[in-house]
Amino acid sequence: MSIPDETLMAFADGELDPAARAQVELALLEDPSLAQRVARHVALRQRVRSAYASELTEPVPQRLLDAARSQAGRTNNVVNLQAARDAKARDAAASKTAAYGWRPAAAIAASLVIGFGLGYWDLYRDQTATPLARGADGALSARGALAKALSTQLAASQSASSEVHIGVSFLAKNGEYCRTFSLNGPVSPSGLACRHGEQWRIESLGQSSDAPSQGFRTAGTDLSPQTLRAIEERIDGETLDAAAEDQALHKNWRK
Amino acid sequence: MNTSETSQNIHDEIVLLLPRLRRFARNLVRNPHDADDVVQVAVERALQRSAQWRRDARLDSWMFKIVRNAWIDEVRARGRRDKLFLAEETGENVGTEPIESEITNMSVQAAMQRLPEEQRTAISLVLIEGLPYKEAADVLEVPIGTLTSRLARGREALQALLGN
Repeated sequence: MSIPDETLMAFADGELDPAARAQVELALLEDPSLAQRVARHVALRQRVRSAYASELTEPVPQRLLDAARSQAGRTNNVVNLQAARDAKARDAAASKTAAYGWRPAAAIAASLVIGFGLGYWDLYRDQTATPLARGADGALSARGALAKALSTQLAASQSASSEVHIGVSFLAKNGEYCRTFSLNGPVSPSGLACRHGEQWRIESLGQSSDAPSQGFRTAGTDLSPQTLRAIEERIDGETLDAAAEDQALHKNWRK
Repeated sequence: MNTSETSQNIHDEIVLLLPRLRRFARNLVRNPHDADDVVQVAVERALQRSAQWRRDARLDSWMFKIVRNAWIDEVRARGRRDKLFLAEETGENVGTEPIESEITNMSVQAAMQRLPEEQRTAISLVLIEGLPYKEAADVLEVPIGTLTSRLARGREALQALLGN
């Protein structure tokens, strides 16, 4: 199958809609040279991004700080009212989407996508404090805001503006609680974490596929194929409903 | 005294964006001091017009657009773009002329300087600042297809300049 380079680029950038993405994933399975081209796009993106990363840590001149803090052009109440209304509407939308289901896996090209997923993660990483740590055994675990959200955030009551969105929670066959998450950010990584002792171990990592431009997604509705497969492999029964999720949280995610 | 939390927020949020705004401006303007001038003008304008910013829109995209427009106005007003701003001709031929080994170890920054402005801004917004295509197209006020093709051409040229 011939895929235009612009499409591969958009795939590498996480810009394709799910149907187009699935098509590219299929083509990648058939033709490894396409995967190389995608990898080139990802590599260039990372190279360019990291070449400019240090500029963010340079001190900002005082005159710019003063300009930003100047009250001369102070906003009036109209914008504030509007902001309050919008925030309210977003919160309402967030609670409406509380009843998530998880999609059965299309489970294609999972192994390929996982590599790209990690690439995306690197892109994301230099934008905020890294939400992941790699332990001595090589396993990735959540930390910082991600770990906190996994431990304390309920899908039903989370705010639309929070950094991390929790999707579904379930009990795995091995007795661990697992939860899907996605992060707000330019590349919106998402994945599955399971409670392992005192840590949230990352079992699967990928990129949410819908455009992150809205700043808010309905977590859990659009997980990457490998995350869906990871859920399928682990889940014991059904996903937790709001009450069961709340209960699990209060037992500190121990069975 | 009656500054509400929200109107305070926009100041704080702009402060947080300043490093990215400066970085973006430096990809438009060669001289870092001039880049900071452009950012300063943009910040002042943004605060004057903050009522136009919809809270559900991304502040970074909105600010990038104002920075870019401030730069365009600056170029027009001064009419001295050759001196102060990147001469676009330097990048015009990238991608059409063969690029040979004299530049194999070119830095990403040097390679970026050789891109035409429209490709450089597309790369800058998407690859460096991490905007989704739709947001970047909106900043540049072009259709998304135009953004995509500038991005593709810019990447191709960078790939050629950087080797491998």
